[in-house]
Amino acid sequence: MPEPAIHEEHDDVLGRAFDRRLAGRLWATARAHHRLVWGSVALFPFITLLELAQPYLLKIAIDDHILHADWTGLTAVAVVYAAVLGALYGLRLMEAFLMALTGQRVIHDLRARLFEHLLRLEAGFFDRTPVGRLMTRVLSDVEAVSEAFTSGLFAVVADVVTLVGVVAIMLWMDWRLALVTFAIVPVLFAVAGYFRIRARDAYREVRRRLARLNAFLQESIQGMAVIQLFAREAHERAEFQQRNEDYRRSLFTSTRFEASLYAGVEALGSVALALLVWYGGGRILDGALTFGALVAFIQYTNRFFLPIRDLGAKYTVMQAAMASAERIYSLLDRGPEVETPRATRAPAAAAGRVAFEGVWFAYADERWVLADCSFTVTPGEHVALVGTTGEGKSTCVRLLNRTWDVGRGRVLVDGVDVREWDLGRLRRHVGVIFQDPVLFTGSVESNLTLDGDGGRVAVERALSAANAAALVERLPQGLATPLVERAANLSHGERQLLAIARALVYNPAILVLDEATSSVDPESERMIRDAMARLMAGRTTITIAHRLSTIHDADRILVLHRGRIHEEGTHAALLKRGGLYARLHELGAGAALG
Amino acid sequence: MCLAIATGLSLLIPWTVKHAIDALAADGAAAPLAHYVGLIVFCAVGNGAARLASRFAIAGAAQHVAADLLARLYAALQTFPPSAFARYTTGDLMARATSDVSAVRSLVGFGTISAASTVLAFVGALAAMMAVDPWLTVWAMAPSPVLVLLVRRYNALVTTRTHAMQDRLGELSTIVQERLAGMGVVRAYTMEARAAAEFAGANAALRDASAELARTQAHFTPLMGLVTGLGTLVILWAGGTAVASGRITLGALVAFTGYLGYLAWPTVALGFTLALGRRGLASMERIQQVLGDARTAADDTAAGVAPEAAVRFANLTFAYEGRPPVLRGVSFEVRPGELVAVVGPTGSGKSTLGLLLARLWEPPPRTVFLGGVDVTTLPLGRLRSALAWVPQDAFLFSRALADNVTLGRDGLGEGDVRRAATTAGIAEEVAAFPAGWDTVVGERGLTLSGGQRQRVALARALAAAPPLLVLDDVFANVDAAKEGQILAGLRAAAPTILLMTHRLRAAQGADRIVVLDEGRVVETGAHAALLAADGLYARLWRMQRLEEEIARA
Repeated sequence: MPEPAIHEEHDDVLGRAFDRRLAGRLWATARAHHRLVWGSVALFPFITLLELAQPYLLKIAIDDHILHADWTGLTAVAVVYAAVLGALYGLRLMEAFLMALTGQRVIHDLRARLFEHLLRLEAGFFDRTPVGRLMTRVLSDVEAVSEAFTSGLFAVVADVVTLVGVVAIMLWMDWRLALVTFAIVPVLFAVAGYFRIRARDAYREVRRRLARLNAFLQESIQGMAVIQLFAREAHERAEFQQRNEDYRRSLFTSTRFEASLYAGVEALGSVALALLVWYGGGRILDGALTFGALVAFIQYTNRFFLPIRDLGAKYTVMQAAMASAERIYSLLDRGPEVETPRATRAPAAAAGRVAFEGVWFAYADERWVLADCSFTVTPGEHVALVGTTGEGKSTCVRLLNRTWDVGRGRVLVDGVDVREWDLGRLRRHVGVIFQDPVLFTGSVESNLTLDGDGGRVAVERALSAANAAALVERLPQGLATPLVERAANLSHGERQLLAIARALVYNPAILVLDEATSSVDPESERMIRDAMARLMAGRTTITIAHRLSTIHDADRILVLHRGRIHEEGTHAALLKRGGLYARLHELGAGAALG
Repeated sequence: MCLAIATGLSLLIPWTVKHAIDALAADGAAAPLAHYVGLIVFCAVGNGAARLASRFAIAGAAQHVAADLLARLYAALQTFPPSAFARYTTGDLMARATSDVSAVRSLVGFGTISAASTVLAFVGALAAMMAVDPWLTVWAMAPSPVLVLLVRRYNALVTTRTHAMQDRLGELSTIVQERLAGMGVVRAYTMEARAAAEFAGANAALRDASAELARTQAHFTPLMGLVTGLGTLVILWAGGTAVASGRITLGALVAFTGYLGYLAWPTVALGFTLALGRRGLASMERIQQVLGDARTAADDTAAGVAPEAAVRFANLTFAYEGRPPVLRGVSFEVRPGELVAVVGPTGSGKSTLGLLLARLWEPPPRTVFLGGVDVTTLPLGRLRSALAWVPQDAFLFSRALADNVTLGRDGLGEGDVRRAATTAGIAEEVAAFPAGWDTVVGERGLTLSGGQRQRVALARALAAAPPLLVLDDVFANVDAAKEGQILAGLRAAAPTILLMTHRLRAAQGADRIVVLDEGRVVETGAHAALLAADGLYARLWRMQRLEEEIARA
């Protein structure tokens, strides 16, 4: 289960209950299931008809049979009544199921669209947006939207159809008595409206205070050590208690209005009943009304009150749904900044040449991480990137596989600007082995087949190249072995080996290795080193070195400093030169660069 | 009580209608119609008022219970040591404080109302019906046992399918969470299509499980209608026969319909109430678990003689649960008025020393002493008021900067804040903010840099002029010049300082330097002596000098 995303005050703002633009887009989403929608809408009139038939059958039974002691006729009516009950049960069941099914399908479609959209968004977006917030969009906001269909829109249409039917049949049976009953409607609307508005405002306050309470609680949990160290427990407890009390009070206010609404409507229903007995009684005496009709009227009145009472609740549902829809569509409207261009250019030969030409890059504002950085790597060459922490070594990798786009200058892979490459092709062409081997839950195989069309052969080849074939054989179910969350059932070294194999599945011409800083056991270390040596043969390789000891045999070493290449050459040449690298090397004897 | 009145009054309504109709049938124009109408209105209003009162009383009580529970939960959390927070995640604790507390609220509130009104409704309505006609009552109740069984079976089905649906939802969440968090990997290996396919599979599974659940739940409303309808049918047929044969009156028949309508909801709600009860009890258990983990607050008192500002570690070996020791046989002391620095590479166990001294983690007995007293025997309140510990990752609350420094402590005025901030080297920067000390920090406020946060936390520790200051790498994000300036101020402000740092320059001026490596003390002495010894400290020192040189290059 996900951790609930609580600290999101802006998610609690309720907007308008109906927004035509949003509703249009929602309808477009639901259109794929228009048959289900129309199917359930088509059921409404039949259901209403059967519902209205019940009190009328009662009237017939009383007036024509019971009062005339006609047992056979009564039995016949009872049989019809039973049939109506059965049919109604079936139809209502169908209606409810169709509605729920529509809701579920809409949720399913919206979720898929959202997730696929997120897959296309650029890295910068994920750096700025907490995963928890996105989880809320994908998991709960879509549910709220589907409520708009099931508990909101459909239910309102169904209620309106019922109301129209009830009004029509009451007028038809006895328009005078109907009008007397309707006299109470303005009062009903006034009462329902008054309490509903109050209840809604109170509910908003409840949400606001709950958000405050939860935010406070969450922060307390995270900063509990500080509270304890400064012995501020009592003070914080008082602050918390105040918010807790605020919340409880607002909750009670909300309950009061909600309960008053129900009680008020119920009381009005009884007043309507009294009216019926008083006026209807008089009309029975006049002979203008039968007993059965009066009984039927009493039942019709009940059916008349419920939809009006619940109208307000539906309003709140619609409001929440619209607010969620707004958030979902604003996410969907946000286009990816890094995309495959419309016209892509394929390189003449996929040899594995890399060139940075006057590259400038900043993650934010004008804080340049790379400033006029230029270098080239020829096919098959082994190059090591060196520099202290924060000098932009990893940034070079992100620009190379176009996780980010350069600010100025350009990055060429095999003579073509990465911004002109087909993104998928580029990333198959440039294999990256990350510092931290992230594996996903699923089987070992599903982590290695990547886009799914790699096939068994590619996986096996990659595994043996990465020295990981023996490891997989040792696993209880081989390739089918399931990985738990964070692949905790493998050792760090094993994860590293699998990550290396993964980078080899596409047989990339260019391999980028972001060296792991954390150490693994010596046995794994040796296997990893072996694997690396094998897979570097004949491939362009760029190593992001955190420990200088591992790069002595690189063809060329590039020293990054202040956003550009400060010096370059072989290990021996650089040492001889006695510059920055020589200093770093002296320093690096035994210690990590970070 | 109110509920009983409400039930009584609402049961009176069908009874009144019965009499009105019977009177109409019997006496015609002479019937005292107005009398009955008045009675109905009276009952309606009375019922409404009584029901409201009961709702207020019970819901209000439930909300009080929930608020108290939450307060107790919060108090329990306050006694949690970091090890407990490592056991429960923030999300888990939040879930217990939110959904579990509200499940208990529903149990106490809605559950009570529902259970009480169900019982009252059955007792009241049955009694009223028996009074009108026993034989017809038996007829009317005939379908009930079958219905109750049906509803129970239905509820069991709903529970199973809800669990199935929640399992699918959990699977989907894991996929979404993992793929979004590991987006860099997904992108680098062009796993987008695969991620989409896996998501699609889980999404479809969830849709199908939800549809299964919906298919079951779709029975609910129609079932309600069926229950009411069946009752009416029985009354219509059996009751109609009785009226036709003159055994009961037409009014009695109508009253029966009313009573049956009254019983329909409780019948169906029975299972619902039971499910609510089960969930509420399970939630209560989860809350109890947290409450049970609370440390006794008995040693909270800050009263008594404050221990002297002298620290001694005596042959301290410590390991976090289930991991190899981070400290092995560490012994050294800090005498009053001394500045002792503990240095060593990352992971050498420096931070653990501070955590144990402040007893955020419990040290083994007789290994850590403050003022000559074993810290494990000192009341927590007294221990913590005697020292100020500034951790590496400074935590600030989303409040005004000034509040972050004072933390609401009594007797800390603006002057104390300014003085502490000046010593911590943050005063000028805060003064440059448009809102100054009123600037709110955090997600909805200003984002401070790591260095700024550390210095605010340092000011917080300095504000109450503690006798002993314990600093854990607080200069990590401060430049060398600033660091020297702050250190000079600190020596004047705090008499005794234990400084953990991986920056040797900060340790240079210490009275004594303790060099830790892989949890062991490898060297001890003053800067000059350690340099002369040419051991680990000397090596580290040369490296850091070189690093500084490169950074300046």
